[in-house]
Amino acid sequence: MLFEALLIALLAGVAGVDLFDGLTHMHRPVVIGPLVGLILGDVQTGLLVGGTLELVWMGMVPLAGAQPPNVVIGGIIGTAFAILTKAEPTVAIGVAVPFSIAVQGCITLLFTAFSPMMHKCDEMVKRGNWRGIEWVNYLGMITLFVFYFVMAFLPIYFGAEAAGAAVQKVPKWVLDGLSVAGGMMPAIGFALLMKIMLKTNYIAYFIMGFVAVTYLKLPILAVALGALAIAMADYFNQNRAQPQAARNVEVDDGI
Amino acid sequence: MGFNDTEAANAAKAELRMQQALATSHVERDDYIDTAPAEPLTKKDINRMAWRSLALQASFNYERMQAGGWLYTILPALRKIHKNPEDLKNSAQMHMEFINVHPFDVTFLSGLVLAMEQSKEKISTIRAVKVALMGPLGGIGDAMFWLTWLPICAGIGAALALEGSLFGPVVFLLLFNALHFGLRFGLAHYGYRAGLGAISALKANTKKISHAASIVGMTVIGALVASYVRLSTPLEIHAGKAKIALQADVLDKLMPNLLPLLFTFLMFALMKKGYSPVKLIGVTVLFGLAGKLFGFL
Repeated sequence: MLFEALLIALLAGVAGVDLFDGLTHMHRPVVIGPLVGLILGDVQTGLLVGGTLELVWMGMVPLAGAQPPNVVIGGIIGTAFAILTKAEPTVAIGVAVPFSIAVQGCITLLFTAFSPMMHKCDEMVKRGNWRGIEWVNYLGMITLFVFYFVMAFLPIYFGAEAAGAAVQKVPKWVLDGLSVAGGMMPAIGFALLMKIMLKTNYIAYFIMGFVAVTYLKLPILAVALGALAIAMADYFNQNRAQPQAARNVEVDDGI
Repeated sequence: MGFNDTEAANAAKAELRMQQALATSHVERDDYIDTAPAEPLTKKDINRMAWRSLALQASFNYERMQAGGWLYTILPALRKIHKNPEDLKNSAQMHMEFINVHPFDVTFLSGLVLAMEQSKEKISTIRAVKVALMGPLGGIGDAMFWLTWLPICAGIGAALALEGSLFGPVVFLLLFNALHFGLRFGLAHYGYRAGLGAISALKANTKKISHAASIVGMTVIGALVASYVRLSTPLEIHAGKAKIALQADVLDKLMPNLLPLLFTFLMFALMKKGYSPVKLIGVTVLFGLAGKLFGFL
């Protein structure tokens, strides 16, 4: 177990850095899930849990100052526990969310603690210490890596067995309740996206997407391509309309 | 983050950012000692800048946001441009000021800034451009990546993964990063080549691109709500001997996915009232537990 826990911690460290730097999005649960599954020897469960957690975190992106629960630790802990305790993918959400909220709090502290480094950077610039500036940035990434490494290693190495035993004792209605809540949770992420995007003139498109799946049973890619077609038509129509408007303004000025 | 903001709101934000930048300023003189335009940067220099921009948030903090990573991004190019050590220090001092730009389209701004540094513009002019573009770039970045491209890629990837297919994560990574790296490197070169001319192009297109991205994003979110929010009830209505299943006989006849839709709008309404995502997760878990305990879910 020590070897697996170390490998998962390593993965968590890399993914934690990718969340802020790199941004390849290998830190999303849909990728992390099967990778954790590979380490623990159960890729299939990893895929299912990863897909489930991906939906929960789909809309939870750093928008408008609302820091969402940490997606990296959520994906890692959720998948690892689901595989180790043989729980349902939706139950994994119940385990993952408390950890990810706690970790998000720690990240906020970390970003506060890094503020004084900026004054060090000012000094370095004055002295022309360019290596120093680069190392402040490397140090930031190393700090994140170590933080995520520890945050993933401790609960998995020390908590997996206890969690497995605990899951056995929990009454069935609690597990079922968590499972139902897990199915509803993607709504929170979508609501977060809608809060930013849903202006009155976009409600029409929301309805269109909803109907395309509910009644027409279209896959997401088909809906996205259809929407892209409409957006393109709209974009180029605007472009065509604009020169005309500009000419009108000129005429007005002339008069 | 400046998404679909009015011009006045954007102007007010830019004013605030300028104050934040000046509050952390250590710049001593406004013009460069050596004012002869530097040798143009090569394609390789710009590519190097684009690679380094991946570390934009490496030293993220609440005092100056991405200042350290921003300087890291453009540092090699700055050192090539400013041969006079005092000029280099002065320039770097300005680039250590507060900056908060979108991590996905930042290279447009860094390319543009390097073009201005190369032609030795005044420090205050360069700062003004940085401050003015943070808002529009943030709006476009949010609209394109967080609100549109990530939900689409994640929706497709998760659907495949839930079917147990390894194509899920693979397709997700390939799709997402094709646009991500394409734009990161494309915008770096575009920003540098177009120089100041790029600003008017950006200003003219900000609204249109955000609008187009919103159309796709909103449609996809409507589709995702119908696909992935799961909520149904086992309740039955007993009318004499007849048994009516509330879900199958009433709600589904009315409209399939009605409950998921209503629940999503409930979350949306609560969020508008200021509930944080964390609080809403708590509410959802309690609702799920209560539902199973009392048998209405």
